[in-house]
Amino acid sequence: MDVFLKILLIALAPVIGGFVYGFERIIKARMQRRIGPPLLQPFYDFLKLADKRKMIVHSTHVFLGIVHFFSLWCALAVLLLGGDFILVIFLHLLSTSLLIVAGYSTRSIFSHLGANRTAISILAYEPVLIMIAVAVFVQTGSFEISAIFRYDQPLLFSMPLAFVALLLILPIKLKKSPFDVAEAHQEVTGGVELEFSGIFYEAVYTAKWLDQIFCYALVYLFAANDPLLGLALVAITFLYVNALDNSSARVNYKQMLRFSIMIALPVAFINLLLSVLHVLK
Amino acid sequence: MKLNSFRKKSPWILHYNAGSCNGCDIEILACLGPKYDIERFGMINTGNPKQSDILLVTGPVTKRSRERLVEIYAQMPEPKVVVSCGACACTGGVFRGMYNCEGGVDQYIPVDVYVCGCGTRPEQIIDGVIQAIDILEKKTKDLEESVRLKRPAMKEGAQVNRRNIAAEIETV
Repeated sequence: MDVFLKILLIALAPVIGGFVYGFERIIKARMQRRIGPPLLQPFYDFLKLADKRKMIVHSTHVFLGIVHFFSLWCALAVLLLGGDFILVIFLHLLSTSLLIVAGYSTRSIFSHLGANRTAISILAYEPVLIMIAVAVFVQTGSFEISAIFRYDQPLLFSMPLAFVALLLILPIKLKKSPFDVAEAHQEVTGGVELEFSGIFYEAVYTAKWLDQIFCYALVYLFAANDPLLGLALVAITFLYVNALDNSSARVNYKQMLRFSIMIALPVAFINLLLSVLHVLK
Repeated sequence: MKLNSFRKKSPWILHYNAGSCNGCDIEILACLGPKYDIERFGMINTGNPKQSDILLVTGPVTKRSRERLVEIYAQMPEPKVVVSCGACACTGGVFRGMYNCEGGVDQYIPVDVYVCGCGTRPEQIIDGVIQAIDILEKKTKDLEESVRLKRPAMKEGAQVNRRNIAAEIETV
Protein backbone atom coordinates (compact mmCIF):
# COMPACT_ATOMS: atom_id res chain seq x y z
CA MET A 1 0.00 0.00 0.00
CA ASP A 2 2.77 2.34 1.01
CA VAL A 3 4.75 1.54 -2.12
CA PHE A 4 1.63 2.02 -4.24
CA LEU A 5 1.14 5.49 -2.73
CA LYS A 6 4.77 6.37 -3.43
CA ILE A 7 4.53 5.24 -7.06
CA LEU A 8 1.33 7.27 -7.45
CA LEU A 9 3.13 10.28 -5.99
CA ILE A 10 6.04 9.81 -8.41
CA ALA A 11 3.71 9.44 -11.39
CA LEU A 12 1.76 12.56 -10.45
CA ALA A 13 4.83 14.57 -9.42
CA PRO A 14 4.79 16.92 -12.47
CA VAL A 15 1.07 17.65 -11.94
CA ILE A 16 1.53 18.33 -8.23
CA GLY A 17 4.54 20.46 -9.10
CA GLY A 18 2.34 22.43 -11.49
CA PHE A 19 -0.11 23.16 -8.71
CA VAL A 20 2.73 24.16 -6.39
CA TYR A 21 4.07 26.51 -9.06
CA GLY A 22 0.61 28.02 -9.66
CA PHE A 23 0.10 28.46 -5.93
CA GLU A 24 3.54 30.04 -5.65
CA ARG A 25 2.67 32.59 -8.33
CA ILE A 26 -0.50 33.51 -6.44
CA ILE A 27 1.37 33.79 -3.13
CA LYS A 28 4.04 35.96 -4.73
CA ALA A 29 1.35 38.19 -6.26
CA ARG A 30 -0.47 38.52 -2.92
CA MET A 31 2.80 39.46 -1.23
CA GLN A 32 3.03 42.33 -3.72
CA ARG A 33 -0.65 43.22 -3.19
CA ARG A 34 -1.61 41.97 -6.62
CA ILE A 35 -4.41 39.55 -7.47
CA GLY A 36 -2.22 37.20 -9.40
CA PRO A 37 -2.97 34.53 -12.02
CA PRO A 38 -5.42 31.64 -11.50
CA LEU A 39 -4.20 28.47 -9.81
CA LEU A 40 -4.30 26.49 -13.05
CA GLN A 41 -2.12 29.06 -14.87
CA PRO A 42 0.93 26.74 -15.33
CA PHE A 43 -1.31 24.20 -17.07
CA TYR A 44 -2.78 26.89 -19.33
CA ASP A 45 0.78 27.86 -20.21
CA PHE A 46 1.58 24.21 -20.85
CA LEU A 47 -1.36 23.75 -23.23
CA LYS A 48 -0.68 27.04 -24.99
CA LEU A 49 2.97 26.15 -25.59
CA ALA A 50 1.81 22.89 -27.23
CA ASP A 51 -0.11 25.00 -29.73
CA LYS A 52 2.80 27.12 -30.98
CA ARG A 53 4.59 26.58 -34.28
CA LYS A 54 7.54 24.23 -33.80
CA MET A 55 10.98 25.83 -33.93
CA ILE A 56 14.19 24.13 -32.88
CA VAL A 57 17.84 25.11 -32.93
CA HIS A 58 19.05 21.57 -33.53
CA SER A 59 17.74 18.16 -32.50
CA THR A 60 20.42 17.40 -29.86
CA HIS A 61 19.51 20.59 -28.04
CA VAL A 62 15.88 19.50 -27.77
CA PHE A 63 16.87 15.94 -26.87
CA LEU A 64 19.09 17.16 -24.00
CA GLY A 65 16.18 19.24 -22.70
CA ILE A 66 13.89 16.19 -22.65
CA VAL A 67 16.54 13.97 -21.04
CA HIS A 68 17.04 16.71 -18.43
CA PHE A 69 13.37 16.37 -17.52
CA PHE A 70 13.43 12.58 -17.31
CA SER A 71 16.65 12.35 -15.32
CA LEU A 72 15.24 14.85 -12.84
CA TRP A 73 12.14 12.68 -12.60
CA CYS A 74 14.39 9.66 -11.94
CA ALA A 75 16.18 11.58 -9.17
CA LEU A 76 12.83 12.40 -7.61
CA ALA A 77 11.71 8.75 -7.93
CA VAL A 78 14.85 7.51 -6.14
CA LEU A 79 14.32 10.15 -3.45
CA LEU A 80 10.68 9.19 -2.88
CA LEU A 81 11.31 5.44 -2.96
CA GLY A 82 13.91 5.83 -0.20
CA GLY A 83 17.04 5.08 -2.24
CA ASP A 84 20.61 6.23 -1.84
CA PHE A 85 21.00 9.91 -0.87
CA ILE A 86 24.26 10.26 -2.80
CA LEU A 87 22.62 8.73 -5.87
CA VAL A 88 19.79 11.25 -5.60
CA ILE A 89 22.24 14.14 -5.42
CA PHE A 90 24.24 12.89 -8.37
CA LEU A 91 21.17 12.18 -10.52
CA HIS A 92 20.08 15.74 -9.85
CA LEU A 93 23.58 16.91 -10.77
CA LEU A 94 23.41 14.85 -13.97
CA SER A 95 20.10 16.39 -14.98
CA THR A 96 21.41 19.91 -14.37
CA SER A 97 24.62 19.22 -16.27
CA LEU A 98 22.59 17.97 -19.25
CA LEU A 99 20.87 21.33 -19.26
CA ILE A 100 24.28 23.03 -19.15
CA VAL A 101 25.44 20.98 -22.15
CA ALA A 102 22.21 21.98 -23.94
CA GLY A 103 23.00 25.61 -23.13
CA TYR A 104 26.50 25.33 -24.59
CA SER A 105 25.28 23.51 -27.70
CA THR A 106 23.64 26.61 -29.17
CA ARG A 107 25.35 29.68 -30.52
CA SER A 108 23.36 32.15 -28.47
CA ILE A 109 25.51 34.23 -26.14
CA PHE A 110 22.78 34.40 -23.49
CA SER A 111 22.48 30.64 -23.57
CA HIS A 112 26.24 30.35 -22.95
CA LEU A 113 26.09 32.89 -20.14
CA GLY A 114 23.20 31.02 -18.57
CA ALA A 115 25.09 27.73 -18.84
CA ASN A 116 28.16 29.30 -17.18
CA ARG A 117 26.05 30.66 -14.38
CA THR A 118 24.19 27.37 -13.88
CA ALA A 119 27.56 25.64 -13.56
CA ILE A 120 28.61 28.19 -10.95
CA SER A 121 25.39 27.74 -9.02
CA ILE A 122 26.02 23.98 -8.96
CA LEU A 123 29.43 24.80 -7.48
CA ALA A 124 27.63 26.85 -4.84
CA TYR A 125 25.02 24.35 -3.65
CA GLU A 126 26.42 20.90 -4.41
CA PRO A 127 29.17 20.74 -1.69
CA VAL A 128 26.65 21.81 0.95
CA LEU A 129 24.19 19.11 -0.14
CA ILE A 130 26.88 16.44 -0.09
CA MET A 131 28.02 17.59 3.35
CA ILE A 132 24.42 17.30 4.58
CA ALA A 133 24.23 13.78 3.10
CA VAL A 134 27.45 12.80 4.90
CA ALA A 135 26.09 14.21 8.15
CA VAL A 136 22.94 12.13 7.64
CA PHE A 137 25.17 9.09 7.12
CA VAL A 138 27.05 9.81 10.36
CA GLN A 139 23.79 10.16 12.27
CA THR A 140 21.81 7.25 10.86
CA GLY A 141 24.63 4.93 9.81
CA SER A 142 23.42 4.61 6.23
CA PHE A 143 23.22 6.61 3.02
CA GLU A 144 19.76 5.14 2.37
CA ILE A 145 16.94 7.65 2.68
CA SER A 146 14.73 4.95 4.19
CA ALA A 147 17.21 4.88 7.11
CA ILE A 148 16.14 8.43 7.95
CA PHE A 149 12.61 7.11 8.41
CA ARG A 150 13.88 4.28 10.63
CA TYR A 151 15.90 6.70 12.78
CA ASP A 152 14.32 7.34 16.18
CA GLN A 153 14.00 11.13 16.05
CA PRO A 154 13.46 13.67 13.23
CA LEU A 155 16.68 14.99 11.73
CA LEU A 156 15.52 18.53 12.46
CA PHE A 157 16.20 17.98 16.18
CA SER A 158 19.33 15.88 15.83
CA MET A 159 21.01 18.23 13.30
CA PRO A 160 19.26 21.63 13.12
CA LEU A 161 22.29 23.30 11.54
CA ALA A 162 21.93 21.07 8.47
CA PHE A 163 18.42 22.43 8.02
CA VAL A 164 19.77 25.98 8.27
CA ALA A 165 22.38 25.14 5.62
CA LEU A 166 19.65 23.69 3.39
CA LEU A 167 17.57 26.85 3.82
CA LEU A 168 20.59 28.92 2.79
CA ILE A 169 21.12 27.03 -0.46
CA LEU A 170 17.47 26.46 -1.42
CA PRO A 171 17.13 29.86 -3.18
CA ILE A 172 20.18 28.94 -5.31
CA LYS A 173 18.69 25.56 -6.15
CA LEU A 174 15.22 26.91 -6.92
CA LYS A 175 16.70 29.87 -8.84
CA LYS A 176 15.07 32.50 -6.66
CA SER A 177 16.27 35.98 -5.79
CA PRO A 178 18.80 36.92 -4.49
CA PHE A 179 20.55 33.92 -6.05
CA ASP A 180 18.78 33.68 -9.41
CA VAL A 181 21.86 34.53 -11.47
CA ALA A 182 21.39 31.35 -13.50
CA GLU A 183 17.99 32.38 -14.76
CA ALA A 184 18.09 36.18 -14.36
CA HIS A 185 15.03 37.04 -16.39
CA GLN A 186 15.83 40.68 -17.10
CA GLU A 187 19.54 40.12 -17.51
CA VAL A 188 20.12 36.98 -19.58
CA THR A 189 16.41 36.38 -20.33
CA GLY A 190 16.17 32.91 -18.83
CA GLY A 191 19.73 31.69 -19.46
CA VAL A 192 19.86 28.09 -20.65
CA GLU A 193 16.14 27.90 -21.37
CA LEU A 194 16.42 30.81 -23.82
CA GLU A 195 16.65 28.80 -27.02
CA PHE A 196 13.86 26.35 -26.19
CA SER A 197 10.53 27.29 -27.71
CA GLY A 198 7.00 26.01 -28.15
CA ILE A 199 6.35 22.37 -27.33
CA PHE A 200 10.06 21.72 -26.75
CA TYR A 201 10.19 24.34 -23.99
CA GLU A 202 7.64 22.29 -22.06
CA ALA A 203 10.26 19.75 -20.98
CA VAL A 204 12.33 22.50 -19.38
CA TYR A 205 9.25 24.27 -18.04
CA THR A 206 7.84 21.15 -16.35
CA ALA A 207 11.33 20.27 -15.06
CA LYS A 208 11.07 23.49 -13.05
CA TRP A 209 7.89 22.15 -11.44
CA LEU A 210 9.65 18.88 -10.65
CA ASP A 211 12.49 20.83 -9.10
CA GLN A 212 10.02 22.39 -6.67
CA ILE A 213 8.79 18.95 -5.58
CA PHE A 214 12.38 17.75 -5.30
CA CYS A 215 13.42 20.63 -3.04
CA TYR A 216 10.36 20.41 -0.80
CA ALA A 217 10.84 16.63 -0.53
CA LEU A 218 14.37 17.33 0.71
CA VAL A 219 12.89 19.69 3.30
CA TYR A 220 10.33 17.06 4.30
CA LEU A 221 13.14 14.56 5.01
CA PHE A 222 14.10 16.61 8.04
CA ALA A 223 10.84 15.66 9.72
CA ALA A 224 10.68 12.11 8.31
CA ASN A 225 8.13 10.17 10.41
CA ASP A 226 6.23 13.18 11.69
CA PRO A 227 3.92 14.26 8.83
CA LEU A 228 2.55 17.29 10.69
CA LEU A 229 6.02 18.62 11.43
CA GLY A 230 7.01 17.82 7.84
CA LEU A 231 4.13 19.78 6.33
CA ALA A 232 4.83 22.67 8.71
CA LEU A 233 8.49 22.69 7.63
CA VAL A 234 7.51 22.62 3.95
CA ALA A 235 5.00 25.45 4.46
CA ILE A 236 7.52 27.60 6.37
CA THR A 237 10.20 26.96 3.74
CA PHE A 238 7.75 27.80 0.96
CA LEU A 239 6.86 31.12 2.57
CA TYR A 240 10.51 31.87 3.39
CA VAL A 241 11.72 31.22 -0.17
CA ASN A 242 8.96 33.34 -1.73
CA ALA A 243 9.26 36.17 0.77
CA LEU A 244 13.00 36.25 0.14
CA ASP A 245 12.39 36.17 -3.61
CA ASN A 246 10.05 39.14 -3.38
CA SER A 247 12.10 41.22 -1.00
CA SER A 248 15.65 40.95 -2.34
CA ALA A 249 17.57 42.06 -5.39
CA ARG A 250 19.84 39.82 -7.42
CA VAL A 251 23.47 39.48 -6.32
CA ASN A 252 26.15 38.69 -8.86
CA TYR A 253 27.67 35.24 -9.19
CA LYS A 254 30.83 36.09 -7.22
CA GLN A 255 28.78 37.27 -4.25
CA MET A 256 26.64 34.14 -4.50
CA LEU A 257 29.69 31.87 -4.54
CA ARG A 258 31.29 33.80 -1.68
CA PHE A 259 28.10 33.53 0.37
CA SER A 260 27.88 29.82 -0.28
CA ILE A 261 31.52 29.08 0.54
CA MET A 262 31.92 31.51 3.46
CA ILE A 263 28.55 30.95 5.18
CA ALA A 264 26.52 27.98 3.94
CA LEU A 265 29.44 25.55 3.64
CA PRO A 266 30.90 26.29 7.12
CA VAL A 267 27.42 25.89 8.65
CA ALA A 268 27.11 22.48 6.97
CA PHE A 269 30.65 21.59 8.06
CA ILE A 270 30.05 22.55 11.71
CA ASN A 271 26.91 20.44 11.56
CA LEU A 272 28.99 17.51 10.30
CA LEU A 273 31.55 17.98 13.11
CA LEU A 274 28.76 18.14 15.72
CA SER A 275 27.23 14.97 14.28
CA VAL A 276 30.58 13.18 14.49
CA LEU A 277 31.06 14.36 18.10
CA HIS A 278 27.52 13.27 18.94
CA VAL A 279 28.12 9.77 17.54
CA LEU A 280 31.53 9.41 19.22
CA LYS A 281 30.00 10.31 22.60
CA MET B 1 -8.50 18.58 -28.76
CA LYS B 2 -8.79 22.26 -29.51
CA LEU B 3 -6.01 24.21 -27.92
CA ASN B 4 -6.98 27.60 -29.36
CA SER B 5 -8.84 28.69 -26.24
CA PHE B 6 -5.71 28.33 -24.11
CA ARG B 7 -3.93 31.00 -26.14
CA LYS B 8 -6.34 33.42 -24.56
CA LYS B 9 -5.43 32.31 -21.07
CA SER B 10 -1.67 32.62 -21.18
CA PRO B 11 -0.44 35.29 -23.59
CA TRP B 12 3.24 35.94 -22.91
CA ILE B 13 4.40 39.42 -23.72
CA LEU B 14 7.59 40.60 -25.34
CA HIS B 15 8.27 44.28 -25.03
CA TYR B 16 10.57 45.98 -27.51
CA ASN B 17 11.61 49.59 -27.44
CA ALA B 18 12.27 50.71 -31.01
CA GLY B 19 13.57 54.16 -30.09
CA SER B 20 10.89 55.42 -27.73
CA CYS B 21 11.31 58.26 -25.23
CA ASN B 22 10.58 55.67 -22.44
CA GLY B 23 7.20 57.26 -21.65
CA CYS B 24 5.22 54.32 -23.02
CA ASP B 25 7.70 51.80 -21.56
CA ILE B 26 7.08 53.13 -18.09
CA GLU B 27 3.35 52.78 -18.65
CA ILE B 28 3.83 49.18 -19.81
CA LEU B 29 5.81 48.45 -16.66
CA ALA B 30 3.04 50.12 -14.64
CA CYS B 31 0.65 47.54 -16.13
CA LEU B 32 2.69 44.80 -14.47
CA GLY B 33 2.58 46.52 -11.10
CA PRO B 34 0.09 46.12 -8.25
CA LYS B 35 -2.41 48.69 -9.49
CA TYR B 36 -3.20 47.25 -12.93
CA ASP B 37 -1.67 43.76 -12.54
CA ILE B 38 -1.99 42.19 -15.99
CA GLU B 39 -0.57 38.96 -14.56
CA ARG B 40 -4.13 38.16 -13.48
CA PHE B 41 -4.83 37.43 -17.18
CA GLY B 42 -1.90 35.02 -17.15
CA MET B 43 0.48 37.38 -18.90
CA ILE B 44 4.19 37.31 -18.24
CA ASN B 45 6.73 39.81 -19.51
CA THR B 46 9.15 37.22 -20.87
CA GLY B 47 11.78 39.19 -22.75
CA ASN B 48 12.40 36.11 -24.88
CA PRO B 49 11.00 36.23 -28.43
CA LYS B 50 11.07 32.44 -28.83
CA GLN B 51 8.54 31.92 -26.07
CA SER B 52 6.24 34.91 -26.43
CA ASP B 53 2.94 35.52 -28.19
CA ILE B 54 2.40 39.26 -28.10
CA LEU B 55 4.96 41.80 -29.27
CA LEU B 56 4.47 45.20 -27.64
CA VAL B 57 6.41 47.78 -29.60
CA THR B 58 6.94 51.31 -28.43
CA GLY B 59 8.54 54.23 -30.20
CA PRO B 60 9.19 55.19 -33.81
CA VAL B 61 11.38 52.80 -35.74
CA THR B 62 14.82 54.34 -35.85
CA LYS B 63 17.23 53.34 -38.58
CA ARG B 64 19.31 51.50 -35.99
CA SER B 65 16.45 49.52 -34.49
CA ARG B 66 14.62 48.41 -37.62
CA GLU B 67 16.77 45.33 -38.29
CA ARG B 68 16.41 44.27 -34.65
CA LEU B 69 12.66 44.78 -34.82
CA VAL B 70 12.31 42.61 -37.91
CA GLU B 71 14.73 40.04 -36.45
CA ILE B 72 12.81 39.81 -33.18
CA TYR B 73 9.54 39.55 -35.06
CA ALA B 74 10.93 36.73 -37.19
CA GLN B 75 12.14 34.85 -34.10
CA MET B 76 8.68 34.70 -32.55
CA PRO B 77 6.90 31.44 -33.38
CA GLU B 78 3.37 31.73 -34.78
CA PRO B 79 0.64 32.43 -33.74
CA LYS B 80 1.77 35.92 -32.80
CA VAL B 81 0.27 39.38 -32.68
CA VAL B 82 1.83 42.82 -32.66
CA VAL B 83 0.52 45.72 -30.59
CA SER B 84 2.01 49.10 -31.34
CA CYS B 85 1.89 51.19 -28.17
CA GLY B 86 1.75 54.95 -28.40
CA ALA B 87 1.54 57.61 -31.06
CA CYS B 88 5.16 57.11 -32.15
CA ALA B 89 4.82 53.39 -32.73
CA CYS B 90 1.57 53.91 -34.65
CA THR B 91 2.54 56.77 -36.94
CA GLY B 92 5.91 58.12 -35.96
CA GLY B 93 4.33 60.76 -33.72
CA VAL B 94 6.42 63.84 -33.08
CA PHE B 95 9.44 62.09 -34.62
CA ARG B 96 7.75 61.58 -37.99
CA GLY B 97 9.89 62.83 -40.83
CA MET B 98 13.06 63.15 -38.79
CA TYR B 99 16.32 62.08 -40.42
CA ASN B 100 16.89 59.18 -38.03
CA CYS B 101 13.36 57.78 -37.89
CA GLU B 102 11.30 55.68 -40.24
CA GLY B 103 8.00 56.53 -38.57
CA GLY B 104 5.52 53.79 -37.67
CA VAL B 105 6.11 50.15 -36.86
CA ASP B 106 3.66 49.03 -39.55
CA GLN B 107 6.10 49.88 -42.31
CA TYR B 108 8.12 46.85 -41.31
CA ILE B 109 5.94 44.34 -39.50
CA PRO B 110 2.19 43.70 -39.72
CA VAL B 111 0.52 45.41 -36.76
CA ASP B 112 -2.72 43.97 -35.39
CA VAL B 113 -3.71 46.50 -32.76
CA TYR B 114 -2.91 50.22 -32.63
CA VAL B 115 -2.92 51.82 -29.17
CA CYS B 116 -2.92 55.62 -29.37
CA GLY B 117 -1.81 58.25 -26.88
CA CYS B 118 1.38 60.02 -25.89
CA GLY B 119 2.15 58.26 -23.72
CA THR B 120 -0.45 55.55 -23.66
CA ARG B 121 -2.40 55.09 -20.47
CA PRO B 122 -2.12 51.69 -18.78
CA GLU B 123 -5.89 51.20 -19.18
CA GLN B 124 -5.51 51.71 -22.92
CA ILE B 125 -2.62 49.24 -23.09
CA ILE B 126 -4.64 46.62 -21.22
CA ASP B 127 -7.59 47.25 -23.55
CA GLY B 128 -5.32 46.91 -26.60
CA VAL B 129 -3.75 43.72 -25.32
CA ILE B 130 -7.17 42.21 -24.59
CA GLN B 131 -8.19 42.99 -28.18
CA ALA B 132 -4.92 41.43 -29.34
CA ILE B 133 -5.74 38.24 -27.42
CA ASP B 134 -9.01 37.94 -29.33
CA ILE B 135 -7.08 38.24 -32.60
CA LEU B 136 -4.51 35.73 -31.32
CA GLU B 137 -7.21 33.16 -30.71
CA LYS B 138 -8.37 33.32 -34.34
CA LYS B 139 -4.90 33.22 -35.89
CA THR B 140 -3.44 30.14 -37.54
CA LYS B 141 0.06 28.73 -37.32
CA ASP B 142 0.90 29.88 -40.85
CA LEU B 143 4.18 31.68 -41.32
CA GLU B 144 3.94 35.45 -40.98
CA GLU B 145 6.70 37.63 -42.33
CA SER B 146 7.83 41.19 -42.23
CA VAL B 147 5.82 43.41 -44.57
CA ARG B 148 8.94 44.94 -46.00
CA LEU B 149 10.15 41.61 -47.32
CA LYS B 150 7.15 41.48 -49.65
CA ARG B 151 7.48 45.05 -50.90
CA PRO B 152 9.98 46.55 -53.30
CA ALA B 153 12.65 48.73 -51.73
CA MET B 154 11.61 52.32 -51.07
CA LYS B 155 13.20 55.22 -52.89
CA GLU B 156 15.40 57.64 -50.98
CA GLY B 157 13.39 60.30 -49.17
CA ALA B 158 10.00 58.77 -49.88
CA GLN B 159 7.42 58.42 -47.10
CA VAL B 160 4.98 55.50 -47.14
CA ASN B 161 1.31 55.98 -46.52
CA ARG B 162 0.43 53.74 -43.60
CA ARG B 163 -3.22 53.50 -44.63
CA ASN B 164 -2.14 51.85 -47.88
CA ILE B 165 -0.01 49.39 -45.94
CA ALA B 166 -2.86 48.62 -43.56
CA ALA B 167 -5.12 47.99 -46.54
CA GLU B 168 -2.44 45.73 -48.02
CA ILE B 169 -2.25 43.69 -44.80
CA GLU B 170 -6.03 43.34 -44.84
CA THR B 171 -5.92 41.80 -48.33
CA VAL B 172 -3.07 39.44 -47.35
